Amino acid sequence: MIKITREDFSVDEVVRDLRRREVGAIVTFIGIVRGESQGRQVERLEVEAYEEMALRELEEIRKRALERFGVEEAVIIHRVGALEVSENIVLVAVGAAHRAEAFEACRFILEEVKRLAPIWKKEYTPEGSSWVEEGEG
Amino acid sequence: MRITVRFFASIREEVGLEREELHLHEESTVRDLLKVVREAHPGLRDNKKLLVAVNGVRSRLDRGLREGDVVALLPPVSGG
Repeated sequence: MIKITREDFSVDEVVRDLRRREVGAIVTFIGIVRGESQGRQVERLEVEAYEEMALRELEEIRKRALERFGVEEAVIIHRVGALEVSENIVLVAVGAAHRAEAFEACRFILEEVKRLAPIWKKEYTPEGSSWVEEGEG
Repeated sequence: MRITVRFFASIREEVGLEREELHLHEESTVRDLLKVVREAHPGLRDNKKLLVAVNGVRSRLDRGLREGDVVALLPPVSGG
């Protein structure tokens, strides 16, 4: 399952949906808003996506992960809109037979999302706002 | 031919628009389109610092455009 949403997500619900007979390991990664960036205080983030393209890219990444690591299922949820410090930004959850492929697939998916998905963060600090564009996010 | 151009994130702010419709000569490429956009919006960054997607798929600058294409100008991504 993949989703781009303004709403928060429930990790418990996603994990519950990944419980099935073939699955012996579930790995989750949750990216949240950090209150600091390169020495500056971050007050909030604004996240923007080119949604039609991002959905296609996320689905492509999910399929590649399923094939490459042989995992049972993978979930990617990315939020957009205004996000406060400590709020959820992204969830990657992978269900697999064993832990090794679950960890590897989860890491792979996250790195590919950061590399490819047309999604951008704007950081708001006491000095003003700026887009994150050099892979430092 | 008629092309829709969409601008995202910092590029949207540089140009001051979310989208616009352009009329281009037949056989125009993405590079030709960027030249037309830059003439209208001199604040647009250098081609090397942006990514282009045609109909939602990453594209090279020498790609030929067709009537009705949607061309998105994207800054380097920072999701996740």
